Amino acid sequence: MNQNHSRVADTQISRRGFLQASSGLVVAFSLFGPTQIAVAAPTVGSTVAPPPAGKLYAWLAVHPDNTATLFTGKVETGNGIETALAQIAAEELDFPIDRLDVVMGTTSETVDQGPSYGSMAVRYAGPQIRHAAAAGRHVLLDLAAKHFGVSTNRLVVVDGTIAVLGSADRSITYGKLVDGKRLNVEIGATGERFAMKVAPEVRTKDPSAYTVIGKSVKRKDIPGKVTGEFTYVQDVKVDGMLHGRVVRPYGVEATLESVDETGLKDIPGFVQVVRRENFLGVVAETEWGAIQAAEKLGSTLSPSGPSDGQAKWSKWDGLPPMDQIWETLRQTAGSNRSVASTGSVDIALASHAGGQVLKATYKTPFQMHGSIGPSCAIADVKGDHATFWSGTQMPHETRRDMATILGIPLDNVELRWFEASGGYGRNGLDHVVADAAVMSQELGRPVRVQWMRWDEHGWEPKGPPIVQDLLGILDKDGNAVAWRHHMWVPTITDTHLIAPALIGKPDITGITGTGATPVIRYGYAFDNADVAVHDEGRVALLTAWLRSPAQFETTFAMESFIDEMAAAAGQDPLAFRLAHVEDPRAVAVLKAAAERYGWVNRPAGGKKPKGGGKSAQGRGIAWVNRDDVRVATIADVTVDLASGQIKVGRVVVAHDCGLVVNPDGLRNQVEGNVVQSLSRTLYEEVTFDRSHVTSRDWEGYPILRFSDIPDSIDVVLVNNTPQYPSYGAGEPATNPTSAVISNAVFDAIGVRLRQTPFRPDRVKAAMG
Amino acid sequence: MPQNISLSINGRDQTVSVEPDSMLLYALRDNLGLHGPRFGCGLGECGACTVVMDGNAIRSCITPVSSVGSGKITTLEGLGTINKPHPLQKAFIEEQAAQCGYCINGMIMAAKALLDQTPHPSRDDIKEALDGNLCRCGTHMRIVRAIERAATQRG
Repeated sequence: MNQNHSRVADTQISRRGFLQASSGLVVAFSLFGPTQIAVAAPTVGSTVAPPPAGKLYAWLAVHPDNTATLFTGKVETGNGIETALAQIAAEELDFPIDRLDVVMGTTSETVDQGPSYGSMAVRYAGPQIRHAAAAGRHVLLDLAAKHFGVSTNRLVVVDGTIAVLGSADRSITYGKLVDGKRLNVEIGATGERFAMKVAPEVRTKDPSAYTVIGKSVKRKDIPGKVTGEFTYVQDVKVDGMLHGRVVRPYGVEATLESVDETGLKDIPGFVQVVRRENFLGVVAETEWGAIQAAEKLGSTLSPSGPSDGQAKWSKWDGLPPMDQIWETLRQTAGSNRSVASTGSVDIALASHAGGQVLKATYKTPFQMHGSIGPSCAIADVKGDHATFWSGTQMPHETRRDMATILGIPLDNVELRWFEASGGYGRNGLDHVVADAAVMSQELGRPVRVQWMRWDEHGWEPKGPPIVQDLLGILDKDGNAVAWRHHMWVPTITDTHLIAPALIGKPDITGITGTGATPVIRYGYAFDNADVAVHDEGRVALLTAWLRSPAQFETTFAMESFIDEMAAAAGQDPLAFRLAHVEDPRAVAVLKAAAERYGWVNRPAGGKKPKGGGKSAQGRGIAWVNRDDVRVATIADVTVDLASGQIKVGRVVVAHDCGLVVNPDGLRNQVEGNVVQSLSRTLYEEVTFDRSHVTSRDWEGYPILRFSDIPDSIDVVLVNNTPQYPSYGAGEPATNPTSAVISNAVFDAIGVRLRQTPFRPDRVKAAMG
Repeated sequence: MPQNISLSINGRDQTVSVEPDSMLLYALRDNLGLHGPRFGCGLGECGACTVVMDGNAIRSCITPVSSVGSGKITTLEGLGTINKPHPLQKAFIEEQAAQCGYCINGMIMAAKALLDQTPHPSRDDIKEALDGNLCRCGTHMRIVRAIERAATQRG
């Protein structure tokens, strides 16, 4: 057991220790008056339900050695939120951050603060934790006041020690004050999840006094991660644990016709096949045994057909042809939703005499999350009790889903959270929990299920393909007078799980949903505008939110097409944008990026390079408003004229997410967003035939490598002041990238790339 | 059937009971509890499982245990610990060169093999040595900087 694991386990034990120790005890202090005296819960040991959000102990534990633990329902996905949330708590508590541990996600230990997605952890959980910690500080001051027999205004707190002003010898640590007791104090909480208000009446610190927020505190998780001492969910071992592997249908909706178990018993450690309707899995004592058994049944990188393995599947070829996916989208019935409607584009079209009408269609493919570590979970289902070990981004939701799937009381279900490989939205991590649940229920023993690479590539829910039509009108003087942007977007909120569908209960949990997130922020202020989303359900493959869901794609279209209009008007692309943007924070990031870059006003080149040069250079700009965050990105590209290869040089990002909690953590996020979105722009496309996904490994689905990284990424922070709250930064810097590269390529070689990915062969084809 | 096989891991001889044609990665992770090397693809395509054998970075997910013989294996755990990190690990911490960190084992082990053979690599050398290692979080810029830092600090 490594250090991280034992740390988590010890915390759980000590927390339970508190429960035992404080059972029947009354810790009689209160925040808002003398009458609220809380009594310890009488149900010690009999429930694994989450703690009540209105209790201080749901958020904070102070230990006798003057260390402390912050509990949060949010989880780390590599974004650094463990450290950022700890900074927020340490700030309010006046407590040293290196003595503050964080327990994340485990459902019996934490409050449901909503899933960790959508750049919403710091934004929504941050204030909840800030208030809980501030309430904690007030409670500790009250305790100290009683201890010293003075009023709280004579007390001062430094690094978790409270002292009486002017009496150097009268001081006590938080740890000694609390003396091993559970902080059983009512601090109040209303609402749920993202909308929850914790200790709403408590006074928090004036941001001008911040000393921890705004500092580039080193991340808590990195030392363990670079030494192998960290425990990922893939590393968890449970006593008596067996190893499971899934055997998925050959065709997405094929039915299982027969399973020939010949030879399976000869595999050392083989235990049994788990078959339930179309769900098929194998269980063995060892990973290697499970892998070999699954292979015999047909789990391989490139199965040749539905009868390739010893499991025989029906022939199913219900997917639309890949090269017609965008036509399929247009033909799919959906509901129309207007994003913006101003004036009349139709009237402008009829009266634009002497001007120009531009039209373009932008296409983006299915893309995948592509986590480096495939999904993994352990389930231990025994009768009407179940425990899960999972790295899901939504532990409390997954707990509820598992109770539903298994048909057992919610209060008997616990999910112990451990970090997984980065998720970037909703990958297979929730799905594999259900796989493990089905197998463990069958075996009556703990089963660890890890997907093979082809399970992950083949079956993780994808980011959907999107097709967009744009129309713009310039008057005879080159002024933009009208803008139409229509987009066809399959659901990005399909929360159905795979295993329930395979066992014949497809709708027991999950909804199909629509593109009901901010798919696009219409960013301009034209006299005539018509922006609309055609929301659709599932089209072809199962989809889910993928980093900056759909807005990555719609920003590509919006910000490339505005560039097309600027070029047609013969204007500088930055100046053209500034002429039509009213939002002051958007103007600020555009100008900040331009200043750092050293932007010189000129129209885009837009011409094929002259002479016999081997390459051509260009620059591109784009911006986005993603959930109140503004980002403007500028990049230089070099296009190799012989191969069509795009190489990115310097990148400048101006980023306004309000008050920054951890500047280096933010830069890490911005760099990651830029590089990952560059990968999605240049390389990534899920391929499929009529039966299933065919890009089932990293050769079929290439991503960016070290040889492709930009020369530099320069991040400028804008509006990093307490005047603005801390908005989320997990996704926004993803959005501008495709447009930036497309615009830069146009500047370099006069070719408009309107379909991602911009692989060399596509660039060459566009060059003609 | 499983056999007792002797391996030299991080300077110690260890015996594991595994099937000879099973892959080294599972022996390291499941039999020896070494979690530095990680399963990413099982196909030798991503590098998350990288260990150093006799000075070369190899993919433990496609290396049968039977093929290791007397080869000396170093895993991430063999470099250093949180309390006493190897200069490469220290440099990764100083540059904060990780996000989810799942790939980082491979990055550090590939860099270890590189620096042992080329103590003062150019940026292009680093990129070339790591080109077979995939990172999905996009931490590449920091990883390169961390390796440059480690190379500089070795003097």
